[in-house]
Amino acid sequence: MLVTWKYRPRNTFIQRLDPRTRLIFLFSVIFALTIPEIWDFRIILPLFAVSLTLYLMARIEWKDVRRAWLFIIVFVVFIVGINGVLSGRGGPSSVTNIESPILFYVPLLRELGWKVPITVSKVWFALNQIVRMLTMAILAIPIPYTMDPNIYGTAFKRMGASDNFSFTMDLAFRFLPTFARDFTITVDAQRARGYEMEALKGGLAERIRRLAPLIIPVVMQSTVTGEEVIDAMDLRAFGTNKRTWIKQLHYAPRDYFILGLGAAIFIACCVLKWGFGIGGFFVPDFFTNWLVG
Amino acid sequence: MNDKSTWEFGTRQVVYGAIGAALYGVFSWATNIFPLPAAGNVTFRPAVAVLIFFGAAYGPWVGLLAGLIGNTLGDALSGWGFYWNWSLGNGLMGMVAGLAMAAINDFRARGDIVKAVGWGIAGIVVGMLFASLTEMFVGGIDFNTALFGYFTPAFLGNTVVTVILLPILMIAFAAVASRRGR
Repeated sequence: MLVTWKYRPRNTFIQRLDPRTRLIFLFSVIFALTIPEIWDFRIILPLFAVSLTLYLMARIEWKDVRRAWLFIIVFVVFIVGINGVLSGRGGPSSVTNIESPILFYVPLLRELGWKVPITVSKVWFALNQIVRMLTMAILAIPIPYTMDPNIYGTAFKRMGASDNFSFTMDLAFRFLPTFARDFTITVDAQRARGYEMEALKGGLAERIRRLAPLIIPVVMQSTVTGEEVIDAMDLRAFGTNKRTWIKQLHYAPRDYFILGLGAAIFIACCVLKWGFGIGGFFVPDFFTNWLVG
Repeated sequence: MNDKSTWEFGTRQVVYGAIGAALYGVFSWATNIFPLPAAGNVTFRPAVAVLIFFGAAYGPWVGLLAGLIGNTLGDALSGWGFYWNWSLGNGLMGMVAGLAMAAINDFRARGDIVKAVGWGIAGIVVGMLFASLTEMFVGGIDFNTALFGYFTPAFLGNTVVTVILLPILMIAFAAVASRRGR
């Protein structure tokens, strides 16, 4: 059992970007879709294409992201999508308010005769919702694979976070392999004493309680380590003055391009929705015709 | 054990925030490797008890940082991505749990353990409710999905783990702290 970062250096455009650029762009797209409440497929689809392009440019191997994708697809399609088809709620009220042809009924409580009508607008809403969520998710997925763990603290500092917050982040990334190693050693030591990790017996409470021999030693050792680190930092006068950071970040022209793109997406969505009334939910005729005929 | 200055944010909070975050990340990752059996979409994450313990032992700032950064680390290790509202929700969970610090005098005392568990559950409610409800704006889900699809499973799983593991962590911490003398 080995804790390894998902990050690997790859010579790609995405990895050459400043980490701040990528985080700001991610938030630009999230805010562009959520603040003006964009539900128009004519805006969502191009944004999805931009996100997908950036995702593919990251050149992450499928075997690395297979599990993450499985989780997201199951979640988005089965929990969010099916709920959208059944209820039509979560987005704009127009999904359930507009007149829309009923495709079929889903009997939920057969005894009570409760049947949920599945309308064209609910189906279109569910599709829009899935694509909208995927647009944001596929920008988020590549971050652990393509952003150097050692740069998170510096990136947040340069984005305006305090020294204390940024240093906590930096320190956490440095502590992580140590604690992961401690955890591995603890697991091995307990196994040597006959602890059967793969066959935890008893009820649920008992199973959780029996995790204590794995967790307690690592946590308690870490509290002791903490005191030593505090002493070391106090001796170096941490917190008395502004800190300087070893790693430096500099924006390149490509960063300005992506930042400009992010700003343009956000502004365009706001102007379209609030200035021209474009971006709200509607069911296109071609979809209704295709389903109803 | 702690100096009771609940909202102080100095070297101690930076270091224990980082340690809590790293542990939360490691244990979250480990849960993915050795998943506990669960019903429906309820998952049990022992890491949550560690987060709430760090809040209770070192205060709200440590809880906030451990949850916020720890969840980011756990997601990064597992390869899920970066979901700001869930990271912030986890941070709030640790922060509210950290409000127990001022009320705890003896980590072995039954009354203080009950207080810590109570604040921990309050933290779980606040944190998971925040993360679930923000999904309504971020993901466009409806209130029922947020409440029953997201919040309820997270609340149940986290509460069970906290009620069982937090007292054990507190008693063990009392022993270590008394040996260390500070």
